[in-house]
Amino acid sequence: MKKTAWVLLFFLWASGLWAQTPFYQGKTMVMIVGTKPGDVYDTYARLLAEHMPRYIPGNPNIIVQNMPGAASLIGANYVYSVAKPDGLTIGAIYPALYFDQLSKKSEVKFDWVKWNWIGSTVKSNHLLYMRADTPYQSIDDVRKASTPPRCGATGTTSTAYYLPKLFEETLGTKFNIVTGYQAGQEVDLAVERGEVQCRAFTIIGYFAREPFVSWRARGFVRVLVQTGAERDERLRDVPTIYELMDRYKATDDARRLAKVMLAAGDFGRPIVAPPGVPADRVNILREAFDKAAKDPQFVADAKKRSLEMDPSSGEELSALAKEVMSAPPEIVAKITGLLGK
Amino acid sequence: MIEAFVSGFWQVLAWPAFGYLLIGIAIGFFVGLLPGLGGLATLALMLPFAYAIKAPVEAFCFLLGMLAVVGTTGDITSILFGIPGEGSSAALILDGHPMSKKGEAGRALGAAIMSSVIGAIAGALALVLSIPIMRPLVLLFGSPELFIIAIMGVTFIGTLAGQSLTKGLLAGGIGLMLAAIGMDPQTGALRYTFGLPYLWDRLDLIPVVVGLFAIPEIVNLAVSGTSIAQTRPAKLTGVMEGVKDTFRHFWLVARCSLIGIYFGILPVLGANIAQWIAYGHAVQGLKDKSRAGQGAVEGVLGPGAANNATRGGDLIPTLAFGIPGSGSMALLLGALLIVGLIPGPEMLKQHLDVTFAMVWVLILANLIVAAACFLVLNQLAALTFIRGSLLIPFLLFFVFIGSFTANNSLNDLVVTLIFGVLGYFMVLYGWPRPPLILGLILGKIAENYLWISTSAYGARWLYSPSVLVLIVITILIVAYPTIKERRGRARYERPADTL
Repeated sequence: MKKTAWVLLFFLWASGLWAQTPFYQGKTMVMIVGTKPGDVYDTYARLLAEHMPRYIPGNPNIIVQNMPGAASLIGANYVYSVAKPDGLTIGAIYPALYFDQLSKKSEVKFDWVKWNWIGSTVKSNHLLYMRADTPYQSIDDVRKASTPPRCGATGTTSTAYYLPKLFEETLGTKFNIVTGYQAGQEVDLAVERGEVQCRAFTIIGYFAREPFVSWRARGFVRVLVQTGAERDERLRDVPTIYELMDRYKATDDARRLAKVMLAAGDFGRPIVAPPGVPADRVNILREAFDKAAKDPQFVADAKKRSLEMDPSSGEELSALAKEVMSAPPEIVAKITGLLGK
Repeated sequence: MIEAFVSGFWQVLAWPAFGYLLIGIAIGFFVGLLPGLGGLATLALMLPFAYAIKAPVEAFCFLLGMLAVVGTTGDITSILFGIPGEGSSAALILDGHPMSKKGEAGRALGAAIMSSVIGAIAGALALVLSIPIMRPLVLLFGSPELFIIAIMGVTFIGTLAGQSLTKGLLAGGIGLMLAAIGMDPQTGALRYTFGLPYLWDRLDLIPVVVGLFAIPEIVNLAVSGTSIAQTRPAKLTGVMEGVKDTFRHFWLVARCSLIGIYFGILPVLGANIAQWIAYGHAVQGLKDKSRAGQGAVEGVLGPGAANNATRGGDLIPTLAFGIPGSGSMALLLGALLIVGLIPGPEMLKQHLDVTFAMVWVLILANLIVAAACFLVLNQLAALTFIRGSLLIPFLLFFVFIGSFTANNSLNDLVVTLIFGVLGYFMVLYGWPRPPLILGLILGKIAENYLWISTSAYGARWLYSPSVLVLIVITILIVAYPTIKERRGRARYERPADTL
């Protein structure tokens, strides 16, 4: 009898221990990064991998694995359809990947709406800069110009390509987009050389890096338009695309198009988990993300690497994903047309 | 300026900067030797350590020291085993590995290392000399010029063809066609991707080169059952012979260093392209063309010097504009930012001493690694006399790890195997492989820059003076061998006429 009581007690104790052992304890998580080591997406992801474990009960290790290619489509496909949905694999992917799904590329193996969104470290709004010594002082000048300004871009999937295209559609401007450069920095050099005159890219980059620091100091370029809902505080005198759409009386269709395409900036630097991960683990990850993103040490580390922080929660991204994917067919057709093919 | 130059030197030699330099060099030594690890990926891994270092000079002693030597030790692997130790050392295989097979590994290594040192110093000096004219120098060459240079590179295909011009041209054509694989940057059209996102970004050069060159070598080694060096020459030609070769062909080394510097300045192109152009140039100068690919020391000296010289060139746009000249420079910039140094025009004014410290790191790192190499070269060369069956497992391991790290994708291995089979049959039926690689590299560049030139300038770019000069040079390069031959014949015939 005494023996049975002991055994019972033991089981009680053991089961209690089981209940108290968090799932993530002693586990190793993998963060699949869809870009090459060292670029901005990778830097954000690695930083998160360093700080997030502190806020996950059980403090697992997070290992970063780069799986670059096809603008992070390869990494996204892997996380969505190959990795086990056990909450141990998460991914850092491009925010504009949903364009590929909207334009029905057969290589897309994910459904943007069904991702378990964990969060995004920063929203990235964009701007279009123009060489100051060109006749294009404002978007108005671009609209009226007889020869359109030349904007440089790498390929048709880059913001430098689709943003000027979007401006054409919504603001009635015309741009001659020169594609084929190897990297954004090469476009900057081409602007310096005068081969092209403008480029669209992130506001963050514009304030963080050379050559823009010196360019701003000597007034080499001028920012014509920004894509945030409100004016960035460092770009007080630059109109937003929304103000300009009001001024030029953009159609409702154009506005809807802008909304769907600019949402990529709001997705920012998204972290995702595949569908099918148990809801409690998704919640643990979301909470850990939210807490880590507010961690002063994380913010300080980010600042040291000149990375800005403007986090969005998993819930916000999830709602946004539903919104963009419900775009009506005529808008989707427009987007597909803008992206070249 | 002189003051800054001297101050930079002492800053590098000061403790603990010099200690960091030595650590960086030690890491770079092995990273270069091992085919799996590239300089760029290693730099990304080393960055967090550099963040802990507070002083800028110490941080880049560590990082730039590593980066400066990978090109040198990467050459060693290419020569000994026919596997590129670094992406930028692949061209060394063409004549370096045949030299190993002839039992001349020591000589090839000596030549590669000495030319690397000269190339690195030339690159560093170019950096110093260009300080006053850096900005106009970088702006001199635009997309139209790059397009013509790519075309100039295509004309080298004929030179690299070896015995049969037809086969060479066809191989080059296949390379150009392979370059079309991927997402077209102009319209976003997917070309020959067969539903595989892996192919969207075009074929990665590393798995292709590894498959094309290393796999056939390993198969050969297994079939022949000998060591890599198939013939043991009566007298082992040593490392010093290779060093002497470098000075025998000093002007070739100097010209190839210039090629390297030039490609370093061009954004994004860099050492991976420069080595092939330098190889083409070196081989073209051979009096007896049939020596190309059979172990001509010139084919080692050219790319050996060029790939190291690009480092100095790389730093030029980085310093002049804060625009990185290559992927590794972009990472280096990020690191400098964190240790509190803003790369860009500032570096040429307030921080000139730091700029010179970089120059010294390039020079010192290469001198030190060369000295270290010379101590062990004869032992390394002895590896080529080891029985092949003992080496093959290691070689295969490095081949597959090496190509896998290109994209961390199993598809990299598939590409390696496909090109391995292709390479084997090309060797078997006497088809030259270098034109295929050159076509693959240049096809992309030529396509992109032709498009950029035309859409930015219309047809106007064709009349710009620098383009015209480059066109004339290209025509001369093509015509030169023919002219030389005719002249030779004329000289030979003249005495007959007088009779």
